[in-house]
Amino acid sequence: MSVIRSLFLISLLAGLSLLCSCEKSDSEDQGRAQPANPAGAPQATWPANTFGVVTKSGVEMIYLPGGEFMMGSSQGNADEGPVHRVKISGLLMDKYAVTHEMFTKVQLPNPSHWQDNPKKPVERVRWRDAKQYCNERSLLEGLKPCYNEKTTDWDCDYSASGYRLPTEAEWEYACRAGSDGFFDFGQPDKLRQFAWFADNSDEKTHPVGQKKPNLWGLYDMYGNVSEWCEDVYSPAYYQESAAVDPHGPPSPSKDVKRVMRGGSWKASADMCRATFRQGQRTGDTDACFYTDFCGFRCVRRISSEELQLRQANSK
Amino acid sequence: MVTQLAGAADTAPLRERLEALPFKIAYESYVDGNSDIFVMNSDGSHPVNLTKSPELNEHYPQISPDGSQVCFVADKGEDRDAIRSLYVMDINGNHRKKIADYAREPFWSPDGKVIGFLDQEYPKFNVIDYYTKGMNYYDLQTGQITPHPNYTNLHHLYNPGFSPNGKWIVSTVHAGMGYDHTILLIEAHGNKIINLKIPGCRPRISPDGKQVAWGASDNEIVAAPLDTDSSDPKVGEWRVHIKDDKNKIYHVAWSPDSQFLSFSRGPDGEGDLSKAGTFQAACEIMGVYATGWNIGVVSAEHARTNDLNRGTDADFTMLTTNGLSNKQPVWFRPRM
Repeated sequence: MSVIRSLFLISLLAGLSLLCSCEKSDSEDQGRAQPANPAGAPQATWPANTFGVVTKSGVEMIYLPGGEFMMGSSQGNADEGPVHRVKISGLLMDKYAVTHEMFTKVQLPNPSHWQDNPKKPVERVRWRDAKQYCNERSLLEGLKPCYNEKTTDWDCDYSASGYRLPTEAEWEYACRAGSDGFFDFGQPDKLRQFAWFADNSDEKTHPVGQKKPNLWGLYDMYGNVSEWCEDVYSPAYYQESAAVDPHGPPSPSKDVKRVMRGGSWKASADMCRATFRQGQRTGDTDACFYTDFCGFRCVRRISSEELQLRQANSK
Repeated sequence: MVTQLAGAADTAPLRERLEALPFKIAYESYVDGNSDIFVMNSDGSHPVNLTKSPELNEHYPQISPDGSQVCFVADKGEDRDAIRSLYVMDINGNHRKKIADYAREPFWSPDGKVIGFLDQEYPKFNVIDYYTKGMNYYDLQTGQITPHPNYTNLHHLYNPGFSPNGKWIVSTVHAGMGYDHTILLIEAHGNKIINLKIPGCRPRISPDGKQVAWGASDNEIVAAPLDTDSSDPKVGEWRVHIKDDKNKIYHVAWSPDSQFLSFSRGPDGEGDLSKAGTFQAACEIMGVYATGWNIGVVSAEHARTNDLNRGTDADFTMLTTNGLSNKQPVWFRPRM
């Protein structure tokens, strides 16, 4: 654990000096009660602070220092187990789900059902459309795209500097935000304060950022739209998952489902929990994709070298 | 399954009946590493490549009402740098003329004097069919392009076509103009819009102006009465129902006598990236190489359900069999 703590401290120190344009996130609500542990996961060591950045194209992201956590639950569905220790490298994650105005900024057609507010999250997004957005945003900011659009699955280069979908493990790490329970805010009866879901959504999406963020400053992780992840969905994957930055199982030749995480405007409270897993058809063979709760947010791996460079530049 | 038995006069193999028709069918096909526009007889015989341009990938042929000209789109370049442009040329392939860049899905006015088309939504290429904004009319005599009077409100339309009386344009809309997804009648020279409230896409009004056919799902094409001369056109009950539980069926088109329906048919998929100049998306989308797709025809003379996996050769026939991404058939009466 000392190595992990050292890595975290390096990242944290670099992150502290990141940018004049950095804003402090709203996540440091130290007054909140520690959540109960209904997921039954052993205690893990967590990074304590996160920081906000604004990218070249004006997108707000949160820097999540690397760390370890116990992924999954012994009290959820069968595919949520076994609980296993996972180490995640530091990364930037979008503060909000990708909105209509963000999606059209890179000249992609907005497929969303509800188009009455540009601050609403995009939905009805095919898995590959989400990846195309990631590549276009990378190009817009002079970064190397992660996805090879010449391959059938648009293979991901995890070492590239650009944006990509989070892995399932990264998503759960970010959603848990250092907590060990189903919800980082504690008891499920507080869910209305943090999420748009079936009980309060009026059967539609809502502009992002209207509910409280999680402990790391990420908004709408539990609801509004569910979010695509990079991984192939396999209900048995936790039995064989890699321990460090897992990327999910290899892609089968057909009937591929990809992981979708987080609740949505139409999800029950139970489906909004941090450990809940969904496998969704990608929609890539559909001319029109009607699944109107499928959204996403982007991540970007940030190296310690880049953090240090930013630190030097900011002096 | 045929729910209404065919009449005695039309129990002969459909291909034999098509052979006697004075019509032709234009379509797109991918041969020799390139997508081109072809024309064949209405029974599928004598296919002729009209374009033969290896530097361009031509798609979506639309034939002038008098059968003398064809307009189409052509893609040049790859990925998001590709440019889709609109062309018109004589039906023999001569006198090709570019009309517009960043233009999509042309359609002829009933008098043959105007070609309507949709603008691409943004300059960067996207293969998605509803990637459109606005509508224009190209005057073949003057070369002038005039925006539709409701241009600024027309968004995410695809597969437009005039009604034979010239009053309406029938079109699918997806995630635009306040609609989730539906088929619209858009006033050709005004601002009126009528939601036909039929689920599906890619509508085509019959040349006699009495019916509309459209794709009701990936595996169904239907046709139903529609009176476009009415001040309040409404779609009636389905009278023709084509279904295929094993393949996708798309791109329905009427024969000039409103008696037959052609369509594209093939397996589900998302394109073959090994084919140069093509894109990755659902196979039915223009510009996507559709492995195993062919052109078929059914009779629309009688109210019936045609199950393409159970019908007989009196019910339907396939006009192409090479599977080389044969799509977007459109009938025409050749100029004599």
